[in-house]
Amino acid sequence: IPEMVSPAIALAFLPLLLTLIIRYRYYFVLFYRAILVRIWKDCVTGLTREERAYQYILTHATPGDPDSILDAFDVWCSKVEFISNIGPKKGKILDRLLMEQSPLTVLELGTHCGYSTVRIARALPLGARLYSVEMDQRNAAIAEKIIRLAGFDDDMVELIVNPSDEVIPRLRSDYGLERLDFVFMDHWKKSYCPDLQMLEGSGLLGKGSMIVADNVLFPGAPKFLRHIRKSGLYEWKIHRATLEYSKGIRDGMAELVYQGIK
Amino acid sequence: MYKLPLPLNKHSINVSFSTVEENEDSTFHKEHERERPRGKRRNGEREKKKRGNGRRKGASKEAGEGEEEMQVRPEKRERGKRRRAKNDQEAKGRERDEEEQTKIKSAKTTKTRKKEKSRKTEEEEGEGESEERNTKRKKKHGSAKKEEKEEDGGKRTVKEKAQDVKKKKHKKVVETSSEQETSEESSEDNEEEDNEEKEVRPESLSPEELEKLKEAVDERKKLIQGLRGKPWPMKKKLVTLRESQEFVEKYEGALGKGKGRKLYAYKVMMTKKWMKFQRDFENFKTACIPWEMKIKEIESHFGSSVASYFIFLRWMYGINMILFGLTFGLVMVPEALMGRPYGSIPRKTVPRAEEASAMDFAVLWDWGGYAQYSVLFYGYYNSQRAIGWLKFRMPLSYFLVGVGTVAYSYMVVIRTMARNANESGVGDDNSFNFSWKMFTSWDYLIGNPETADNKFASITTSFKEAILEEQESRKDDNIHLTRFLRVLANFLVLCCLAGSGYLIYFVVRRSQKFALDGLENHTWWERNEVNMVMSLLGMFCPMLFDVISTLENYHPRVALQWQLGRIFALFLGNLYTFIIALMDEINLKVIIVRQTFTVNITIHPVQEFVRLIISDTMTTYITLLIGDFLRAVLVRFLNYCWCWDLEAGFPSYSEFDVSGNVLGLIFNQGMIWMGAFYAPCLPALNVLRLHVSMYLQCWAVMCCNVPQERVFKASGSNNFYMAMLLVILFLSTLPAIYTIVTIPPSFDCGPFSGKKRMFDVIHETLESDFPAWFSKVFSYASNPGLVLPFILLMVLAIYYLQSTSKSYKEANVELKKKLQTQNEENKKKNKRAALKAQMDLEEARKAASQAAEQQNNNASLQEEESETSQTYHHGNHGAPGYLPGFSRQSEPRMYRVPSLQRH
Repeated sequence: IPEMVSPAIALAFLPLLLTLIIRYRYYFVLFYRAILVRIWKDCVTGLTREERAYQYILTHATPGDPDSILDAFDVWCSKVEFISNIGPKKGKILDRLLMEQSPLTVLELGTHCGYSTVRIARALPLGARLYSVEMDQRNAAIAEKIIRLAGFDDDMVELIVNPSDEVIPRLRSDYGLERLDFVFMDHWKKSYCPDLQMLEGSGLLGKGSMIVADNVLFPGAPKFLRHIRKSGLYEWKIHRATLEYSKGIRDGMAELVYQGIK
Repeated sequence: MYKLPLPLNKHSINVSFSTVEENEDSTFHKEHERERPRGKRRNGEREKKKRGNGRRKGASKEAGEGEEEMQVRPEKRERGKRRRAKNDQEAKGRERDEEEQTKIKSAKTTKTRKKEKSRKTEEEEGEGESEERNTKRKKKHGSAKKEEKEEDGGKRTVKEKAQDVKKKKHKKVVETSSEQETSEESSEDNEEEDNEEKEVRPESLSPEELEKLKEAVDERKKLIQGLRGKPWPMKKKLVTLRESQEFVEKYEGALGKGKGRKLYAYKVMMTKKWMKFQRDFENFKTACIPWEMKIKEIESHFGSSVASYFIFLRWMYGINMILFGLTFGLVMVPEALMGRPYGSIPRKTVPRAEEASAMDFAVLWDWGGYAQYSVLFYGYYNSQRAIGWLKFRMPLSYFLVGVGTVAYSYMVVIRTMARNANESGVGDDNSFNFSWKMFTSWDYLIGNPETADNKFASITTSFKEAILEEQESRKDDNIHLTRFLRVLANFLVLCCLAGSGYLIYFVVRRSQKFALDGLENHTWWERNEVNMVMSLLGMFCPMLFDVISTLENYHPRVALQWQLGRIFALFLGNLYTFIIALMDEINLKVIIVRQTFTVNITIHPVQEFVRLIISDTMTTYITLLIGDFLRAVLVRFLNYCWCWDLEAGFPSYSEFDVSGNVLGLIFNQGMIWMGAFYAPCLPALNVLRLHVSMYLQCWAVMCCNVPQERVFKASGSNNFYMAMLLVILFLSTLPAIYTIVTIPPSFDCGPFSGKKRMFDVIHETLESDFPAWFSKVFSYASNPGLVLPFILLMVLAIYYLQSTSKSYKEANVELKKKLQTQNEENKKKNKRAALKAQMDLEEARKAASQAAEQQNNNASLQEEESETSQTYHHGNHGAPGYLPGFSRQSEPRMYRVPSLQRH
């Protein structure tokens, strides 16, 4: 049987292969850290990724000190395993926005294991209240522990365990909210657009309310971006940065200021 | 000359000085120069209101002087009253005035703006709308200023009267003119009168007035010329332009006297028509430049670097057109029309064995069968000295065209290089870069919205380029690390080059083995291995180089040049390996030929060459379709149902690969040059390819590419392309020249068959077609003893010219510097002089105003008239007497005016 493709032709593809590997090395690294390592550790330890993170934080952070908890998180995420938190660099942008805005009512969609919740809560003024929505029961339990470990009580941070599309319509009735000053989105990228539309419909957004959405470029929320471009309800910009705990993957954080219908 | 139609109060004066610099200045001077009767002055004020007609009226004023005297009087009285009231006020509340001064100042700016607005509207309004204007003015000033209102009322009546008087006067003028001039002209007058009643006939004017009119026309012309540089709002510019043009049109033709006048008018009209024609012709010429609009559009969106590729492509297309014209017109067509027909001799006939498949597409696609035995290839031509009834010298023509194409290419490339070098040397790109861009980018002649969008995009892109450039120049990094990385990158690239060279060598060796075995025993993959491997390497290695070059951290323009250099090395290596392989194949074939005595061997390698070019073109197009178009389609439409953002994130759209495309083009051209001597069809093929490329790539770039992340200015890279082209030209003509000079043409094919050397054609022609003395002269001229000194002389001349041009360049730079310093000095001097003049003026005016004040205090009603003129005069220059704050305010503007005028 004659061979189908000669080896020389196959060899000619080597530069292409090398190019792809070098150009997309960060993605390969991310794939390795976020998926392969995770599966491996899951099998070995029998714990979920979030539980492992919690264990690390329990042993490495000072209780009652949000900064130390955040630092421990950052170290774990960059050195040990990968969890897609907002990360220190984009976190700084978030901190700045919160300082400028000093909102009193904050809604967070997607608590995950509480990194961003702690980050937001520590930047809030006195008397502000943060509602954090998480869909997954187990993640919520860990997030609750971490939030309490950081020293934020029930009055300051309220964790709502439910999918965001169920929570948003009931915010006014069940939680007695009149207006949201600040919304932080970091849950499923697909839900960005419907949730934003739901928020617009609920009437909770007033003129000047700020919405910050993480990861709008990678993994990316194209529909969300298209919506904010088209709707004309917002003044918006995208803070360009790299993906958390990674150098080469470009990502962005969208900052929207609700202008209302003119 | 646009003065304010408003009464002469302080605000209006301010406005006039700040905005209408030159014109106002000129009137300002005139007012001092001329000692005119008062009535005229008044009239002058009215003149301002009727801008369009102002000049003419000024010229015809003398006629209606008496009437005007009368109607001016009531206004003067009005003015006098106001003045008195003002003085009283001043005496009472000087302190209050001073307190309020600041307030007034702040209010002044808003008022100024209002004034300006009103002025604009007034300019647009005709004469008859004075009433409306007055009401507007009333609104603006508010009812608090009663005096002004009164005055307005007075003025209005005055104006109405004035108009009546004007009409009367006009008729009178017409009468006088008809008396003075011939009857023909008077009839003309009447005609004109029907059209525009208020016009004054130019022919009715005395020579002195004509002179004035001429002056006015000249002034208008000057205004039109300098209009673009005026700091006015667009609307005002347009209005001014239209009015000035109308004015000039109307009176330009009227200048000159008697019979000469008509001729003059005719001349003026013709000049205008000629100018319009020239402008249209320019536009037409621009429209005729092929693909200009396309390239401009691409430039506006993708920056000058991408556009430079397309400009290069167009240039290449032009050259190939000429090459094609030469080969097609002088070689292919004569042979097809007048040469021996197909089938007459063996070299023009498809062998019997191949006849069955000679028309098959697969065979034709490989340039076999009927394609092989046609005018497209060298082997088809025969050595008949003169063909057809024209006695066309076919072999000579073939040889000369071959040499001519190469010579022409050299000439064009070198000339373009020289021109580019000249262009890049002139001009100072670095100083005030951003200011230039900021203030001079917009083209105000753009009339259609699409072009405007493009221009907007292009300005944005050029700003991006400039900012990047600036950033690049300020960057300073760890130099040792950078150096190390650069060395490392070059090492990697070298490894890559060596690897690809070895792979090609290996493949070529293998193909020889296959050829010896007989190609029929091997698969399609193996038969096409060489082409495939070369295309793939040529496609993928540049990508690898690109990735490696990110290590080096060069400025994108420098990076592009490195990239170009590397790909150049790669392609050159590939090409030369391929040629060596071909040579080997020829040797191989020669062995076979000796065994089997088949003919037509020289055709085969050329065919191979043409096939390579075709496969290269195909690869380019397929890469474009798959790599750009398919990718774009996938990214665009898969994005709706993908788990990450394909557009913003990972595969994204592709960028236009300038370096790869440029080199593809250059090497393709190199192959054309190399093969054109043996296959006259190649230029035609290339023209076709370039034409398709232009449309396909233009479409692809606009439809599926995104602008580069780092847009950069392409300046300077053009000559880099040219230099590469020159090298390639040299390298590709080497083999052809080598074969022409050393290898004897095969005995039974080609136009030179039967000759010892190809260039024997020339010898032959000289001997048989020219008189004996000519060949003798030629043989003397080609004597080395004569040629060598001549070459030496040429080298010396080149050296001399080069050194002189260098010194000229230096002198140019020196002169430029000198000019700049002188300019600055002049500016300073002017400023000083203007300041001094201003001071003197101010002093004189103060003295005058003081005198006037005194006079005013003692004045009785009879002296009013003399006073008014004074008031007018004084008001026009900032009214420093009773508002010290304003005199101070207007000062800087006053002295700014002359300095501006001088530039």
